Amino acid sequence: MPETRVLLEHAEDANLRTIDGYRGYGGYASLEKAYRQMEPDEVLKELEDSGLRGRGGAGFAMGKKASFLPRGDMPKYLCCNADESEPGAFKDRELMQRNPHQLIEGIAIAARAAGAGHAFIFIRGEYDLQGDILDAAVAEAYEAGYLGKDILGSHCDLELVVHRGAGAYICGEETALLDALEGKRGNPRLKPPFPAVQGLYGGPTLINNVETLSNVPHIVAKGAEWFKGFGTEQSPGTKVVSVSGRVKRPGNYEVELGIPTRELICDLAGGPLDGCELKAFYPGGSSSPVLKAEEGLDLPYSFEAMAEAGSMLGSGSIIVADDTVSIPHMALRTARFYHHESCGKCTPCREGTNWTVKMLERVVRGEATPMDLDIVASVQENIIGNCLCVLGDSMAMPVGAMVRKFRDEFEAVIAEAGDETAEPERIAAVQGPMESVGVGP
Amino acid sequence: MSKGQEITIVIDGREVGATEGEMLHDAAKRGDVEIPIFCYEPKLGPPVGACRMCLVEIEGVPKLQTSCSTPVRDGMVVNTRSEKVKEAQNAVVEFLLVNHPLDCPVCDKGGECPLQDITMGWGPGKSRFTDPKRHFEKPLPLSPLVAIDRERCILCYRCVRFSQEVAEDSQLQLLERGDRTYVGTFDERPYVAPFHGNITDICPVGALTNYTYRFRARPWDVEEAGSVCTLCPSQCNVSFTVRDEQVKRVIARDNEEVDDGWLCDRGRYGFEMFAAEERVTEPRLRGGAAAGWDEAIAKAAAGLRHASEIDHTGAGSNSDVPGRVAAIVGDASNEEGFLVQKILREALGSPHVESRRAGGASRETLLRLAQPDLAVRTKDLDDADAILVVGTDPLHDMSILDLRIRKAIRRNGAKLVVATDRPTALDGGAVAVHRYAPGNAASVFTELGGEDVLLKAESVVVVWGERIAREGEATLDALLDLATTLGLAANDSSGLLEVPELANGRGLREAGCLPDAGPGLSETSAHLPALSHGKGALVGKTTEEIRAALESGELKSLILFGADPLRDFPDTEAWERALTSVDHLIVFSMFENATTAKADVVFPLETHAEKDGTVTHPDGRLQRVRPSAARPGSIRPNYGVLAELALALGHDTGITSQPSAFAALAEAVPFYAGLDDAEISGRGIRWQDRDPASAFPEPGEDAGTPSSLATRRSGVGGLSPEASGSSRAKRSEGVPTSSLQLGTYRDLWAGPITELNPPLKFLQPEQRIEVSPSDAERLGLDSGDAVRVSQNGTSVQAKVAVKERVQEGVCFLTEGIVDANANELLNGGPVQVEIQKVER
Amino acid sequence: MEELVPELPVDPAVDKGRVPDRSSAEIPELHDVDCPDDLREEIEERMSRYPDRKSASIPALWAVQRRYGWCTPDGIRQAAAVMRVTPAYLESVASFYDLLHTSPAGEHRVHVCTNISCWMRGADDLLEAFAEAAGCDPHEARHGALSPDGKVFLSGFECLGACDIAPMASIDERYFGPLEAADAATAIEQLVAGGEVLPEKSLERRPLAGDRNGARGGGDA
Ligand SMILES: Cc1cc2nc3c(=O)[nH]c(=O)nc-3n(C[C@H](O)[C@H](O)[C@H](O)COP(=O)(O)O)c2cc1C
Ligand code: SF4
Ligand code: FES
Repeated sequence: MPETRVLLEHAEDANLRTIDGYRGYGGYASLEKAYRQMEPDEVLKELEDSGLRGRGGAGFAMGKKASFLPRGDMPKYLCCNADESEPGAFKDRELMQRNPHQLIEGIAIAARAAGAGHAFIFIRGEYDLQGDILDAAVAEAYEAGYLGKDILGSHCDLELVVHRGAGAYICGEETALLDALEGKRGNPRLKPPFPAVQGLYGGPTLINNVETLSNVPHIVAKGAEWFKGFGTEQSPGTKVVSVSGRVKRPGNYEVELGIPTRELICDLAGGPLDGCELKAFYPGGSSSPVLKAEEGLDLPYSFEAMAEAGSMLGSGSIIVADDTVSIPHMALRTARFYHHESCGKCTPCREGTNWTVKMLERVVRGEATPMDLDIVASVQENIIGNCLCVLGDSMAMPVGAMVRKFRDEFEAVIAEAGDETAEPERIAAVQGPMESVGVGP
Repeated sequence: MSKGQEITIVIDGREVGATEGEMLHDAAKRGDVEIPIFCYEPKLGPPVGACRMCLVEIEGVPKLQTSCSTPVRDGMVVNTRSEKVKEAQNAVVEFLLVNHPLDCPVCDKGGECPLQDITMGWGPGKSRFTDPKRHFEKPLPLSPLVAIDRERCILCYRCVRFSQEVAEDSQLQLLERGDRTYVGTFDERPYVAPFHGNITDICPVGALTNYTYRFRARPWDVEEAGSVCTLCPSQCNVSFTVRDEQVKRVIARDNEEVDDGWLCDRGRYGFEMFAAEERVTEPRLRGGAAAGWDEAIAKAAAGLRHASEIDHTGAGSNSDVPGRVAAIVGDASNEEGFLVQKILREALGSPHVESRRAGGASRETLLRLAQPDLAVRTKDLDDADAILVVGTDPLHDMSILDLRIRKAIRRNGAKLVVATDRPTALDGGAVAVHRYAPGNAASVFTELGGEDVLLKAESVVVVWGERIAREGEATLDALLDLATTLGLAANDSSGLLEVPELANGRGLREAGCLPDAGPGLSETSAHLPALSHGKGALVGKTTEEIRAALESGELKSLILFGADPLRDFPDTEAWERALTSVDHLIVFSMFENATTAKADVVFPLETHAEKDGTVTHPDGRLQRVRPSAARPGSIRPNYGVLAELALALGHDTGITSQPSAFAALAEAVPFYAGLDDAEISGRGIRWQDRDPASAFPEPGEDAGTPSSLATRRSGVGGLSPEASGSSRAKRSEGVPTSSLQLGTYRDLWAGPITELNPPLKFLQPEQRIEVSPSDAERLGLDSGDAVRVSQNGTSVQAKVAVKERVQEGVCFLTEGIVDANANELLNGGPVQVEIQKVER
Repeated sequence: MEELVPELPVDPAVDKGRVPDRSSAEIPELHDVDCPDDLREEIEERMSRYPDRKSASIPALWAVQRRYGWCTPDGIRQAAAVMRVTPAYLESVASFYDLLHTSPAGEHRVHVCTNISCWMRGADDLLEAFAEAAGCDPHEARHGALSPDGKVFLSGFECLGACDIAPMASIDERYFGPLEAADAATAIEQLVAGGEVLPEKSLERRPLAGDRNGARGGGDA
């Protein structure tokens, strides 16, 4: 089963990065269409009809969100969320690095639909190469008159600023992103008010993911109907899926939503490493509850199917664990990440992630009792739904799922690690990457 | 808060009335349903929803909601006790305790700690957390006054929000991230800002504590005594924490009509000076000889009688006004001021009573300025569309107003216009800033009259500094003209708010401490029956005139009540001469100082923690100062001492107690009529809000008699606008280029408050001369250079501070500091100073 | 009189030899911080890009870090003076973000991803190899350690968004992977020598997963 490339079409051509290369494949035709032949409302309608769902995690209908912005000529803003920091996700990196103009064009068109005069690409600071590529592309686009004042004589202006973050996963959360953009610490805000009503600098703000916006030029070019021709009814379009972990060919693969997950993992990504067996995987980044191989492999890869299975498609990033991977250690790595990234503003997330890490460290050190596993589980329960944003839940859900689904493994680790003689032997039994896992803080 | 209409919501099955749009937590509270909170504090601005303690269940909403940030809607059904809510509450408390140490027994907050209380009331009973807690060095100095124990901090955001959203000093910040987050400052420097003590009031745990209070007392062996701070005109409501009849702590006693629940650090930490070595604790005679009360009073009376009996019409007198005795009142209550002027006018038949350090308006002008329809309440600042600050920097002159104005801008989008000679702390938030040359406020009013922001605004509050009255009548006329242009009288929430130089400046004037007006700003003749010789009003001498008359020998005796000319009045040298040549000097003072050193009789004064009396807030609110602590030494209530002195002078005031003193005052001041302690109560009351306000005298009743102050004043005491040219300071040719025009101000920290107060000593200002970068360059000066600032013969030492916002051609020095006092250089007119570097 | 004098606390600041200077933490004035012109201009240019100057705080701190190697107190004060904010505000922002350093951070930065996907493919060994090559304590290196010569700042890092080249590292802001333990020594040598680092492992040169070895959906990692 080959890929279905829309966003990644021509991506193999290094020249695609340049405005000429991009134009060579018909780039910016959609922008010309949107600014010359279409009214903002028509553009908005097209996006709504397409049913395009957000690719950043929440999967909210993009056109619908844009339609929430109030009319009227107060200053409005568009923020492209390029913070991509969720473990397992690296699709936006690929899209920005290989086809920056596709994103810029999408932003310009979305800005017209939303009536935004000022747009920002919030790119994680670590993506320095991609940031440089965007800077160059943005300069080219200004040069060509696709950005700036009175774009193509439409009397519409659009300023686009590439804003580099400085290393904080939480800034991917849309309201934290706004605070960061305003120059503050990236702490999430209370919702309501929602950004569409009161966002950046207090103005109506549309926030969308890189991949979401990269879809926009294609929808405007070929129409909503064409777009809905891909994927399922509730998950139209293609998706760039990041597959990583214990597979032969980790990487980004663009597929129609709804194809069997097995094809992604076993065909495109090459399946398990030789001599290993798939055990479990995160279907939508580290924030999604893990699925056992047997429950997940045959599910269609779509928003709805993953939700039904009690997990989520999230950012569309699959992390595969095989039989060499110790789930308790994986849980610990996961918890450590959220503990490190918690902004510290709200109590359950700040203290819950910290507490969970401390308990899991005792678990893998064998200094825990099965009773502690109950506490781990209950702490996850106490986090879910009680936090200011969903970062806390993003740890609690997968960790909770792992303790629930792989309790036996946790108990085994406690028992074995507790047993002096068993420990070294067991860890030696799993290969390289496992060895130093979980030792020390 | 939004002013929505009344609605009903259901909380825990009970109907509760609420106001549309108010936060659920507040509605519940008024319905006697307590929802636990940590981070929520409306005074700090919009809710942040960080601690998650206030989660409740709302019908129709799947997730629990934070009641601190959920506006109520009509018919909303809320459950604060459901299982789901209880679990969440237990969870949050358990999470909060994960990193909170169990050192309550040795914690200053113990017994008055919200975390303790909420853990008892809403916690799970026991924590399941067994791993090590986070560790910080504890306690650390956050400032010389506040200790921070980061292990106890629950990261509720309150203190940092105060720094960012109330004081706006943005010095206290959260550092690092996640559970590594801690409260701190830039580069670990101390948090030094004038309001920072407030964070100890709002911290819900023992993380922020006062060094002045640590381990001094426990909540169960102290009493709280409500009173008023009289260290500046803000007159903030305070509560003294008293143990063994001594003040151990001062905390805010939230009165949104006055202080909005905040205190400045002067009011909070100033109390340590009550016990200073320099405190006068018993009467004494010249040369320090201690005296009993009877002896001291007899001596004082004798001296006064002797002085006043000298015939004033005879040789050596060029005065048409009787009386050889004068009195100047400074730091005093209404009753004290009332009694002093009674002694002068009724016992000694002298009209020479003043309460102003220099200059000051005539009676007519005061009447026009204080008309009730031109008055505003402090609270009106909150909803003002525009605010004009002219001739004062509230931070230094009436500190708490600085926070109030910031609040109006931040929360209500009020448009601020600042018009001052010296850059103010508020400039940053102003839509327009006007600068005038020192001593030439008059000239700025023309510009202000054309200020769109003010003209367009519905409601305008004009905050003006009494300082500008030093310039003379013309300036105040200009102010009144502006008030007319802006139509302040027409709008209830528009008006003038004066920032007096004295903490109780307004009260003293209304009590009759003026040369041309008696109690209730009545005509003076009324109070000198024996002496009024049909010449219309008998007008006494102004402060400058008193000084001159003392020097010339025309006046023989002076009573200084809470006034210290050698520190606080312009032209120190002249005062030095005056106080040296006076025959008989009586000084009522809290502390020994250069002035008491010259006195024949010194009487001790009570502090505002010991005093019993009333003061009048600049907006007309009468407030009660209640005795909370024991008087040291043999100090007696001041009103009693004054009454005895009057008696010794053969005048029975009939005053034997504070109530009787206040009653006499209320009787003498028509617009205070019928006021009593009960009506003033704990919150005070504005006389303008009572019917008798109609008894406030109409201006222009006495057609300017020959001796009327107004006529004598025009131009005198300050400089007339003509005299000083344009509002921008320009070096008039002839003046050497090394000279700058001197402007002075009174630094917030200048005076005994820092000099005699160990905890605040580190704030004692050294003299700094503020100059513009261009002048600094021209004169080859750098920040930190030591210079001598001189003006024909007199000079003071100062350190250079180059300030971008100081305009070219002028420089500023602070008054009221013990040495290098700028008052030494002042002489009533505009002053050019020479600046020379001194090599060290 | 005597018993009235309360036992006063020793002024802790004085105690610590830190007698506060009243204006130390206020917004510094430009002429007091002697900010290099080019730095000032860069920050001003950044501020001009945003509707609100405060938005430039991260760009300003990046500029400071590029110039001084880390966000030094002096550098922060310079930026604060240009931006008209308090130094405390900027330090608070800087300390929130992993890539902004409020302590010395060497000349070269090596971030080794130790998050889930990289960990599954040997990240811990890789980090140890780098620690050995740079001469840092491996335990310290997990949270950031400076090499003895102060040249290389090595740190374990959360997911860098390159799980496809796991295990990987970010070396002076460029991505390299998949790396073997052996690559660590080479990389450090090349870094210190100032040459190009691991050219054949650079992400920039790597074709799309599906296009590797030409054939879409073919070719093993
Ligand atoms: C903790 C957290 C991290 C997030 N990180 C990202 C991210 O890195 N990139 C992203 O596009 N969305 C991220 N999101 C989702 C955003 O909040 C937001 O839903 C999304 O950017 C909206 O764009 P979309 O509708 O196009 O998906 C994150 C959400 C949370 C709670
Ligand atoms: S110090 Fe006190 S007020 Fe400040 S965040 Fe911590 S608990 Fe809250
Ligand atoms: S009080 Fe509501 S979240 Fe803190």
